[in-house]
Formats: sequence, structure tokens, C-alpha cells
Amino acid sequence: MKRLYLTICLLLAVTLLFGACGRADSDSDGVTLTILGKESDLNKPYLTRLFKLYQDSTGNRLKLLSYEDAEFETKAAQDVAEGRVPDILLHFHNADLNRYDVARDFCTLEDQAWSAGLTDSARAYCTDSAGHLLGLPFWESSVSGCYYNKTLLTQLGLRAAATQTEFDMLCQVLAESGYTPICWPADGCTWMPQFALDPVFADDPATLERLNGGEIGYGDIPAVAEMVRWVQSAAENGWFGDAYGSTGWNDIGPQLASGQAVCTFIWDTWFYTDFPEGTYTMDDFALMPAFMGTADEGTYEGGNLNMMMVCKAGSHVQEALDFLAFCATPESYNAAFDGISTVSCFQGQTTNIQSPMVTEAQASIQAHERVSTAASKIVGYNAEDVMAALNAMLRGETDVDGCVRQMDEARLGEIALQNEVGGETD
Amino acid sequence: MKKQFKKIGFCLFVCAVIIAVILISLVYVQYISRRIFEDSTRSLDEIYSQVNRSFGAFVERNWGLLESWDDAQVFSEAMDGEASAFVAEEQARWGFSDFYFLSEKGESLSIGGEKDLLDLGDALAALTEQRQPLMAGTVLSSGEEVTVFAVPVSRQTVQGFSYDAIAVTYTNSDLARSLNVDAFSGKARCFVIHSDGQVLLSTQAGGNVFSNYLVYLRAVSDLSEEELAAMAQDWAAGRKGLVRCEIGGVSHVILYQSLGYLDYLMLSSVPQSAISAGFLSVQKATINVLVAIFLLVGAVAVVLLVLRSSRLSRENRLELQYRERMFDVLSNSVDDIFITLNAADQHVDYISPNIERLLGIPAEEARKDIRVMEKCAVNYDVVIPKDVLESIPLNGNRYWECEYVHQNTGERRWYRMTVYHMSIQEVRKYIIVLSDRTMEQQMNQQLQQALNAAQSANTAKSNFLSNMSHDIRTPMNAIVGFSVLLEKNADQPEKVREYTRKITSSSQHLLSLINDVLDMSKIESGKTSLNVERFSLPELLEELTIIVMPQARAKQQDFSIHVQGTPPEHIIGDKLRLNQILLNLLSNAVKYTPEGGKIEFTVCPIPGAGQQYARLRFAVKDNGIGMSEEFQATIFEPFSREINSVTNKIQGTGLGMAITKNLVDLMGGIIQVESAPGQGSTFTVELSFLLPEQEETVSWYRDKVTRMLVADDEEDICLNIRELMRDSGVDVTCVHDGADAVDLAVTAWQRGEGFHVILLDWKMLRMDGVEAARQIRARIGEQVPILVLTSYDWSDIETEARQAGIDAFMPKPFFVSTFWDTIRPLFSEDQAARSAGSAQVLAGRRFLAAEDNELNAEILTEMLEMEGASCQVAPDGQKALEMFQNSQPGTYDLILMDMQMPVMNGYDAARAIRACGHPQAASIPIVAMTANAFAEDVRNALDAGMDGHLSKPIDMNAVREMIGRLLDRKSAPSADGEGENL
Repeated sequence: MKRLYLTICLLLAVTLLFGACGRADSDSDGVTLTILGKESDLNKPYLTRLFKLYQDSTGNRLKLLSYEDAEFETKAAQDVAEGRVPDILLHFHNADLNRYDVARDFCTLEDQAWSAGLTDSARAYCTDSAGHLLGLPFWESSVSGCYYNKTLLTQLGLRAAATQTEFDMLCQVLAESGYTPICWPADGCTWMPQFALDPVFADDPATLERLNGGEIGYGDIPAVAEMVRWVQSAAENGWFGDAYGSTGWNDIGPQLASGQAVCTFIWDTWFYTDFPEGTYTMDDFALMPAFMGTADEGTYEGGNLNMMMVCKAGSHVQEALDFLAFCATPESYNAAFDGISTVSCFQGQTTNIQSPMVTEAQASIQAHERVSTAASKIVGYNAEDVMAALNAMLRGETDVDGCVRQMDEARLGEIALQNEVGGETD
Repeated sequence: MKKQFKKIGFCLFVCAVIIAVILISLVYVQYISRRIFEDSTRSLDEIYSQVNRSFGAFVERNWGLLESWDDAQVFSEAMDGEASAFVAEEQARWGFSDFYFLSEKGESLSIGGEKDLLDLGDALAALTEQRQPLMAGTVLSSGEEVTVFAVPVSRQTVQGFSYDAIAVTYTNSDLARSLNVDAFSGKARCFVIHSDGQVLLSTQAGGNVFSNYLVYLRAVSDLSEEELAAMAQDWAAGRKGLVRCEIGGVSHVILYQSLGYLDYLMLSSVPQSAISAGFLSVQKATINVLVAIFLLVGAVAVVLLVLRSSRLSRENRLELQYRERMFDVLSNSVDDIFITLNAADQHVDYISPNIERLLGIPAEEARKDIRVMEKCAVNYDVVIPKDVLESIPLNGNRYWECEYVHQNTGERRWYRMTVYHMSIQEVRKYIIVLSDRTMEQQMNQQLQQALNAAQSANTAKSNFLSNMSHDIRTPMNAIVGFSVLLEKNADQPEKVREYTRKITSSSQHLLSLINDVLDMSKIESGKTSLNVERFSLPELLEELTIIVMPQARAKQQDFSIHVQGTPPEHIIGDKLRLNQILLNLLSNAVKYTPEGGKIEFTVCPIPGAGQQYARLRFAVKDNGIGMSEEFQATIFEPFSREINSVTNKIQGTGLGMAITKNLVDLMGGIIQVESAPGQGSTFTVELSFLLPEQEETVSWYRDKVTRMLVADDEEDICLNIRELMRDSGVDVTCVHDGADAVDLAVTAWQRGEGFHVILLDWKMLRMDGVEAARQIRARIGEQVPILVLTSYDWSDIETEARQAGIDAFMPKPFFVSTFWDTIRPLFSEDQAARSAGSAQVLAGRRFLAAEDNELNAEILTEMLEMEGASCQVAPDGQKALEMFQNSQPGTYDLILMDMQMPVMNGYDAARAIRACGHPQAASIPIVAMTANAFAEDVRNALDAGMDGHLSKPIDMNAVREMIGRLLDRKSAPSADGEGENL
């Protein structure tokens, strides 16, 4: 009986095994999923690990389709529109997603079981204005905010600011004390204005839609002028120091490490890649919200995440959804992000390296983090144009209104250029 | 010296006053500053003491409030709505943010029933264990910073929560707002701190960024550790204090005093500038007043000084103007220029206004830049060389001569420029005086020119005498020598003829030399004038041919005259001088062309003379010895002869070309020469002549000559004749051969359309003119006049030609007037009488000759008698007049009149004869016969009523020609058939 039972169990196991294999075989040795993305994106080491793990674990094949970065957005959208649809599309949830008919082309994923395991910021990033989760975030990212020299503040008997007023107060005290409160790399570093604009549009998606819809311009949004006015007053008060106009990427590290500048608006992984330790080390720094005149409580900018979207018209929709579920398992993402310096996309993410600065400020980040909106969601937004307008104002070539007007003209010009390029491509 | 000391003393006094005023002002300002600062800090102390008291009262009031609530047992176990309403009412009244029940463990329960943890730290023990009222700061779980005021109560329970104290909280921002001190324009910072510097709260609106003010001061202020320690001790002891320090380079005043509760202190930090704002305004006002007073006093002083200075300056200026004006007037009355330069920069301080009159440079322009004088300087680029100026020692001077040209008139002026280097009122000046030396210079130049002229004249005289001595001695030597030989060989007729011929030749040469010298002398002295009259160009050419042709023939030279185009036949000019010019050129051509050579004389009109003038080019071209370029350059200078082996054998005065050139210049023409040694020469003369108003018209032939045959082997001549005859109405038929001429003449005669005149060239290829004439005469008889056209001397063939039937000869070139003149006798009835010629023109004539020189009178008488004429001689003009007056009409045919005679000269005698009333007084020809051979002599003779002029020595050919012409005019009919009475 025991042998019979054992035999039956063995046969059952063999049957199950063959059954499982039989499904794979039925698709001629497993399913081949096609993934379309930018060439540089698909070569990320954690994705390579993930793809290998998936193929090794499931026996399915992944066929990676790519375009060069510069032509990806137009060609990928053209492929989808013309029926050359991949199973999975890798896309940053930015304004270029408007090239697709999102509702028609992609599956919504908020009902997927793994969605509950995403961090709030990651889920927010991948969710559209209608509340639909459009993709699985699987990307390295960082937290951008105001990184400040906490040691120096302590030495000065000062403390971090919690509000815009306190931040201005802090800057003023630091300036009076002979320090450059904010390292403002105006020469070639263009991301700073995003901190001011993210709260404006992330907190009010309707305004974003009206802006993108051409109903209003920057001039109709008072917060934009407030941001410009704050930058102007900060420069006039000496909060950027004397040589901010010639301060660039290579100057940020030395100014912070020497203690010449006390804080700057940047992201945590920058300390791992570009910070040159000097008088102060990375351990001397902490994170507080960025204050630029548009949000009293300040803001953190969440990372820009690449998300995996399932194409409705793909050949293997279910298999693609299964693939996303595979990726969202702790075993998969922890194996993939093992040793990678990044902010977590998944709540169970443990193997990635997260900076102590982010960890210490976790509560504040959760309270004040906003999805990166300005750079990715404003159609026609070009960080260089915005910075150019601000610099023109700081050089005295225009006033606040002129600066806002210049920003808007540049945005509209960029839209026209994109339309022109799109037309040619079509 | 005394005045200088006085000045220095005054300056020192002024400086001392200024310094004293400044020092007093500074002391006053310092005093005011200190007093105001003390008042300000006292005020600051009072303000913050008041704030401190207010805050203390605030604390006490909250504690009292809480204690009163506890005493009133407001809160029950049930914690009903009444208690909540009470708290809400009190909250609205006092402004606290929350009410809490506190347990001894630090747990809290809000009035809304929510549990929380108020982290009061060590203070909790003081509250719950020591039962003391509490004021402490903490951060709520929401992150909001609050200050807690609590009082211990007996343990009670509310909603199951056991509490040992009750508390109210104020948000720090609210608390700060209530404590905010608006003094000092909001620039003050006010804190509630612990004695260790920890900041409990800041009164600044909007929050607090300070964590420990002692640490802050240590980091950013200039307080030393000792000072900081002393201050920390004050804080620990709850002492009041005031500290001055610099924070971030800005002076601050820090004021602190205990709150009177635990270790809390009230600390204020105010920028000194804010404290001193009031002081600054007072100080500023004080300084402004002082400055204003000082400026006022200064301004008054300055105004007084300026007025005084202005008055002095005006007086000085007026004085200066007066002096300058006076100097201007003085300088304007002289021709010297005065300039004053500043030695440092060579700026013009003064320049006399007469510079504009003397040099044409406006004084103002020269005053701006003295270098404008360079424009009119002749010898110096830099009028007043800087290095020269600088080399003049102080109180020294230097002078040099300079020459200027007046900018407007171009007048040259000479100056002696004297520069004085002087120091005037310790300023170095150059005083420049340009003394006018123009008169002296001009006088010197005139003297120099006179000297040069005298030297030149002397040289010319020496040269002339030298040349003349040689040139006169040469023929004279021959004359004297051969005269001696003649005397010795008088018995040998052959030698007598030979010697006589040579004496005659030398005499002719000597005569031409004398004529040339006299001509040259007249020309060079400017006394030569032109005798302008109407004359015939063909006649001129004929006369030239007559003279030159024999000379050319003597040397077997081919001499030809060519007329190109259609020059006018009559022109107005000085025929005699033109003849002289052309004869000089032609004679030279003959003279300097070897035997067998060729001489071409060409006349042609050239354009550009205008309607009333004719410009003619006369070219004499030979293939003679030619001239070197060097000689061509001097050919027109007097006594210039090229010296070579050929010319040495040729006689010449060297004056011919000089005379020719001067005559051409006198006539307004040009003369050019092209020549090369051994290749001949071409002299070209271009002259303009006035045209007669109307050409003479000849009409006698109208019915007699309508057809004419011309035979010449040169087609150009044929065409030229046809062109010239076009306006005459004569039909000209041309052939190029004698035989053709015979055939055509015979054929026409046979048709009854014979030619009225036949003109044959002498030398033609197949049949010459003489032979053709012979055949024509043989075929058609004597019906038609036949003329021979030749450029050769026809005297050799004249006999043969006339035998062949030729009626007349015509010289080439063909001129219409000559043609008509030639054929006219052939158509007139007195042809025979005219053909007698002029050979016997003097025969039977009776002359009255006025000649004071017996020898000349004898020669004249002999010569006239040799011609078959008779002559009576009067020794002077008066005698001649008397002889004429006393003569019967017809006694004399002509009077020959010497000019220079005693008693009455020839001119007066001629006028007297014309006016004497003798029947022949007006008509008898009077011919001057004198050594006065110049044109004005001729004109004077004609003006005196004479009809002609013959120069001595007597040339019988000329006498015959002249007298024949005059007698001919007297008897011959005029062109239109009327006779002319002389």
C-alpha cells in the first residue's frame, strides 16, 4: 500500500511535471515576451539580472527590442500606433506618454496583487491622474531635496529649517555669519527650479492639465512668479554667494566639502558618485525639504522611475502580467537590486543601499515628497530654458515678469519644435 | 619778503582755524555719540526689561490660571461637555493652543480626549516630584514646537486617566508673536534661552533656526573665550548684562537678564546700527549743521576772496588788455611780428595781430598753434625748431634769417627771427621777434640781379666782340688782302676779275653779317616791330624760288616746292620777316646739304587758327649733314654753329637761326627742328596770319576761258589744280602724259570744242611739255595759249620753249591768282608791250637823288647811268626839296632819298615834297635809299609819304625791281581795268 501510494504520488508528480512542461512545450519551449525600451535603459545591470533570473526561472524567453535614446519616443509610439506592439514597454512616466492612447494601449495594474507592495512614492509616480496604476516601477532612483551640512549648523548653534520662513531665516543668519547658504550652480546645472515647480503641479494636477492643454501659461500661475521672485531675492540677499553665475557641476562638491557652502538642492546618490570629501564628509550631511518659495513646508522630489507597462495589443498579455508579478516578488527585486544604491520602490526591498540621509529623513520625506512632475509632466518643459530665463533675470537683463514670460515662450517654442519633429517623423 | 611772510602767516592761521573746527566737531560728535548710545542702551534695557516683565507676568498668569482651574475643580471624572466648553472659552480668551492633563510618567491627555506624549525632559521631575510650576519647550508628534506651562495638582482622574498636573501649551510661533518686540525696526532678535544657551523660543515671527545661542556666538562673533565664559557665568547666575560684539562683521549689542524662573533668560541681540539709528539721525543732523555752518563760513570767505580776486583780476585784465591793445596798435604800424611762447609747452601767449597782414595767417589761428606758420615758411619745415629753442640759454638769444610767403598774395617776405629766452614772473618764456628784412632783401636781390645783368652783359659783350672780331676780320681780311692784290695786279684782267669777284663775295658776306648783327641787336633790345600788310603767298613763294633755286642749282641740288591742301593765296602779315625766316631756313638747307642733295619746301594749312586766321606750316626738309642732339639744343642761340669738319668750311655768322627763332617768336609762332647727323634736317615753322576780309575776285576771263587742259604726270598736282579751279567756273581736263595732251587738244579742237588754255608740265615721262607744245602748235596752230608748269628754272629752255610755241611759264606750285596773272597778258592787246620785260625799266628815267655822301652819290649816279638813266644829286633834303619844287613837271620820274642827311633828313624832305604843291608832289615816287634797314625804318619811310625802301649798299637788281614795279604801277591798269596814279 505504501508502495502503491508512493507510486501514485510519483506518477502524479511526473504527471504534474509533464503537465507543467507540457504547457511550456505547447508554446514551443516557452513563451517569448518582447520588451521594448531605450537601448541604454535595457542594459542596466539590475534589469539584466532580472531578465536572466526570469528566463532561468520560467524557461520563457525575453526578446529585447530597443531604439537609440534620441529616437525612442517617436519610434516606439509609432510602432504601437501602427500595430507593431511589444508585450511590455519600458517608459518613464513623463510627458512623452501623451504620444500613446494610454487607455487603449496599456493595461491598468492597480488590481494586481503586487501593487500593494510598492512604496507610496513609487506607486504615486506610476499612477496617472485618474488613479490608474500604469506600470511596475523597476528602476533605481534617489530622493532630491535640500542636503545640508548638519555638523556645521550644530557648530554654529543653528538647526535645520522646517518651513520656508525658517529656511529664509537660516539662509540670512548663515549669510550674516560669512557662509554661502545655498550652493546654486547656475552654470549648466538646471534641475533646481524643479523643486519649486513640483509642488505647484503635483499638488494641483488640474493646473498641469490646463497648462499642457494650452489654456493657461506660466504667467497665469502665481506660484511660478513666486518661485522666480524668491530666486531673485535669494540672489540679492547673497544666499547664493558672489560667484553663483560661474558655479557649475564641478563646483558643488568642493563648496560643500569645504564648508564654504552649507546646503544645496541635489539627490542622495550624488554623494556616492560625485562628492569629494574634504573638511566635511558625507556623514556630516543631512536632508531637509527644499524651499524655493512655492511650498511653505518644502518638498522632496521623488525619483524618475522607469516602469514596465503591459500592452493590451501584445501577443502575450497574460504572460506579460505574470512577468510583472515575477518582478514584484521580493526574491526577484532583492536579487536584482542587490548592492545597488537607490531608494526603494518596493516596501520589501532590503538589499539595495539607501543613504543614511534619506533614512534619517524618512518621516519628513514621506510627509513632503512629491512626484517629479515639472520636468516630466509639463509638456515642453526644458530645464535649460527655465534656468536660462532665471539667469537672464539675475544678470539684470529682465525682471520677474520678463523671466516668467521668457520661460513660457521657451516652453511654447519647445512644444512647437516637438510638433514639428513629430510631424516630420510621421 | 615781508609780504611773503604775511601770506604764509595768513595761510597758517586759516589752516589752524579749520583744524580747530574739525577737532571741536569731532569731539562734539563723540560726546553726542556716547550720550546717545548710552541713552539708546538704556532704552534697550528698559524695553527688554519691560518685555521680561511682561513675559514673567505672562508665565505667572498662565500658572495662576491653571491653579485657579484646579482650585475650581473644573474638570470631573466624566469630563463632560461643560469642561470642554470652559477650556474652549478660556482658550479663546488667553490664546493657548491646547490644554493637557499630565501624568507623572509624562503621558498627556488633551481636552479632546487624545493621548499623547509631551516630552518635558528633566523638567517633568520638577513638576511632579518637586511640585513646582513648569515652563518648558517640547515638540509635538506633529513636529510642532510648543511651550508648556504646567502646574502640579493633586492626583485626579479624568476619563480613566490619572493626572498629576495640568498644562496649557502655546505654539512657539504664537508665543513669539505675542512677545515680539518691534523696537529697532524689527532688526532685534529676542530669545528665551536656558543658561547653557539652549534656545527655548525665538520671538521672531516665522520660527526659529537657533538651537544654542552661546554656540552661535562662539562660532560667529568676535567674543573671546573669556568674554563668552563671563557671559555664560552671568547666565548661570541669572545676572543681567550687556555685551558688545561683532557678528558676521556687524556690531551688535547683546542684552540678557533672567526671567526669574528656573534658568530661563531673556536675551536680545540688536545690531548697533539699529540702536544708533536715532543717534545717527541726530549725529547726521549735527554734522549737517556743522558742515552747513562751516560751508557757509567757507562760502562767505570764498566769495569774499573770489570778489577780491575778481576785482584784482579784472583790474589786471583791463591793464593787460590796455597794454595788449596798445602793443597791437604799435605792432600794426610796423612790419615786425612779435610772439611770446610759454617755454614749457610752447603755447602761444601772445602774437601780434599784424601777422595776418604780413603773412596772411589769422592771428587767432596762429595763437592756437604756432605751427601754422610752417605753411608759409620757405626754407624751414619747422619754423621754430624745438631743439633750437631749448638750446638757447636763459637770458640768451639767437637769431636766424627766414623767408615766408604771404598765404593770400604769394608775396615773399624776409625776416630776421630773434628768439629771447627769458624768465617772466618765474615762468620761462621765449620772446620771438620777426624783424622785417624784406626791403633789404629785395634791395640785395636787385643789386645782385643788376650785378648779374652787368656781368652777363659784360660777358655777352665780350663774347660778341670776340665773335664779331673774328667774323668781321675774316671777310675784311679777304677784302683788304684782295684789294692789295688787285692794286698790284691791275694790269692783269683775269686776276682783276677774280679778285673783284672775291672782294664782292667777301663784301656780301660782311654785309650779311652786319645785317644779321643789326637785326639781332634790334630783336634782342626789343625794338623790333612787325610791318603787317596784305601780301600774296604765291608771290612770296615765287620770290623764294627765284632766290633759292639758283643756289640749289649751283650745288646740283634737287629743290622742290610743294603745296598741300589749299592755303589762302592772300594773307596779312609781315611779308619781309616771313621771307627772312624762310630764306634763312632755305639758305641753310642749301648751305648744309651736299651737292646733289635734295631740298623740299612744303607749305600747308593746318587747322586750329579760327575763322579769321590761317595757320600755315612751312617745312624745309633736306638730306644734308644734319645736326647732333647737343647742337639742336643750342641751335637757336646767337653765334651757335656746330663745329665739325664740314661746317668749318661753310661760311656763317651763327646768328641766322637765332634771328629766325626770335622772328618766329615775335610773330607768335613756333619753330621746331628734327635732325640727326648725316640724315638731314627738317625745320618746321608754324605761323598764324590774319585773313583779308574778302578775297579779290577776278572776272575778266569769264567769257574767255571756260575749258582748260592740264597735263602732268603727277596725279596729285592734277587733282590739286582741278580742286583750286573748281570755283572759277573753268572746266579742267587732266591727262598724265604729253602725247595724251596732244591727242586730246587736237580732238577737242577738231570737234570745235577746243581748250582755251593748255597747261603742260615740263618734265613728263613719255613726252615732255616742250615737245607736246610743239606738236599741238603743229596740229592746231597758234589758237590757244600754252603754258609750261615747272618747278625748275626755265631760263635754260626758254628760247627753245618759245620756239616750240609756249607762251608763258608758271612756277610750281600752282596758284590760281598766279595762273590768272600769267595768262592775262596773253588775252590782252598790249601783250607785246608787256613782254618787253623789265630789263629796260630804268632806261631814260630821270632821277633826283638826295645823298649827302659824295662817294655814295657818285656810285649811284654811275650805276644809274649804266642803266641808261640820268640822275641829279642833292646834298641834303632841303636841297632836294628845292630842286623838286623848282623843277618843271615831268623833270623827274622818281626821287631817291637818303634818310640821314644834314640840314633836312629824308623823312622831313619827303613830307615837305608831298606837301609842297608841285604838280607831281603827290604822285612822284619817292624811294628811301638808306642804311636804316629795319622794319620800322621802312614803316617810318612809308609814313613820311615815301613809296618804297631800298637798303644800302645799293643792289641794282633790287633798284630795278623796285623802280620797275613803282613805275609799272603808275602806268599799268588795275585788276579791274582801272589805272592807278602814283
